[in-house]
Amino acid sequence: MSEAAVRAYAVEKHFGSATLSRWLAYPPADRDALLELAVQLRLGENQLRDVLDDVGAIVARRGGGVTGLLSDEAVRGAVARSPGRNPAIRALKQALRRLRYPQLSNAEQRLAELGRALRLPAGVRVELPENLDGDAIALTLRGRTAGELRAQARAAAACLQGEALDEMFAVLEGLR
Amino acid sequence: MRRFVPDRVWIARGELETPVARSVQTRYAGPIEVFDGDAPVRPVSVSDGKRELVLQRHRGAFLRHCPAGTAGLVCCNYLVVNLASNCPMDCSYCFLQDYLADAPALTAYTNVEDALAEIDAVVRAHPDRTFRIGTGELSDSLALDPLTDLSRLLVPFFAARRNAVLELKTKTDCVDTLLALDPGGQVVVSWSVNAAAVVERDEAGTAPLADRLAAAHRVQQGGYRVGFHFDPLIEFDGWESGYTAAVDAIAGAVDPATVAWISLGSLRLSPGMTQALGRRAAPSHAQATEVVSGADGKARIWRGLRLRMYRLLVERLRAALGEVPLYLCMESPGVWARVMAEVPTDRALGLRLAAGATW
Repeated sequence: MSEAAVRAYAVEKHFGSATLSRWLAYPPADRDALLELAVQLRLGENQLRDVLDDVGAIVARRGGGVTGLLSDEAVRGAVARSPGRNPAIRALKQALRRLRYPQLSNAEQRLAELGRALRLPAGVRVELPENLDGDAIALTLRGRTAGELRAQARAAAACLQGEALDEMFAVLEGLR
Repeated sequence: MRRFVPDRVWIARGELETPVARSVQTRYAGPIEVFDGDAPVRPVSVSDGKRELVLQRHRGAFLRHCPAGTAGLVCCNYLVVNLASNCPMDCSYCFLQDYLADAPALTAYTNVEDALAEIDAVVRAHPDRTFRIGTGELSDSLALDPLTDLSRLLVPFFAARRNAVLELKTKTDCVDTLLALDPGGQVVVSWSVNAAAVVERDEAGTAPLADRLAAAHRVQQGGYRVGFHFDPLIEFDGWESGYTAAVDAIAGAVDPATVAWISLGSLRLSPGMTQALGRRAAPSHAQATEVVSGADGKARIWRGLRLRMYRLLVERLRAALGEVPLYLCMESPGVWARVMAEVPTDRALGLRLAAGATW
């Protein structure tokens, strides 16, 4: 592939000049790897810009090039295993996010495990701050009658007695 | 570090006889151009603007509140006086890349007497208050000093005032002029410091950490109080040992008794700065660190990791330097409470720092 192919794709998708310049600033092999991905997933400008942000940060952290990153099994495999374009784009974003935010991803995974360990009744949901950028954990209870809601609240309260909840706050506070 | 030498100096015709311009004409051996009207320098970026130095008057007020005093964050009531704009060094994370995008020429202002008169009026009007005033917001306080000799005007001015403290904030080791002056207890020379890995990768053109600390030792010997700013804290593989080593290096270089303050602030990026980081050719730790967008539109290291970093630094600083005044820059009351076990009012924090009190 070539610079011309990148330019043709950018024209076809109506990319702005800033995004195209950023793309073309990569070495030819990296440029082509991005083009292959863009063509495969029919990425629009915003989607490609997000990918550029992520791969730039990941490469800055890990070293190596974009080509190596995009052929990494964690990325390539996530895309390949997804049925259809939209699930594949979601899988790509998730895979890149895990690589870009390794500690945040680990904390989120740990919180999800602890949330499950609470064994809350069906219909009660744990809500965490977006990107863990806050200090509050919320529970959502839903009942169709007063009795149902009271029962939910009692059951939820019982589930919150264990250490899992303390551990969740400890993770949120950066203590674990 | 290598002293900054501009490719060319531009001086406004009417300013040729000012102390700053005279000093530059004496000390700079390269080409000097004199201009009338607006400076004929049109850098296309902040980076491009670092190559040539413009000397001209500043129109408008010099003194203003530090912009870090954003609503919802704990503020230390700091004032900034901008005697220069842009900086010869090139830190990856520097907010000037976004902030000065429309006026990027490296400029030193020549009407320093106007700035001093403005400061004098404010400090005289409030004799019961003590002001902390810094020159290091839109430029490094000392990077141009070997050319402008500005500290020779500033230090005696503040040494003669009992209710104003000058902070000269720098990443250089340009302290020779300072050593010939008497600060009278009213000048703090502070260094922006970081883990050695961040200095090497993200702070192009600055003095190595060891040189900054050697300079801190020298000015302390010369009667100055010193300060340190771990700002921005940047998360990278090995940050714990990197920052611990930096703290230990500080403890090995200076006497804690005359450390005026140490601040901690985590990396924060406006949307424009995030774009500027992405455009830089060289990868940086700032680009790689785990920042997420916050409610105010700025990206910061996510809260749990930020808290972990602050706690480690506070613990290590307390162990190595004892009860030196520590504060957080641009942080919420919630983070203050978790890290420092208190939330001071803006006024109380400002007073304590001005008094050199610890807590």
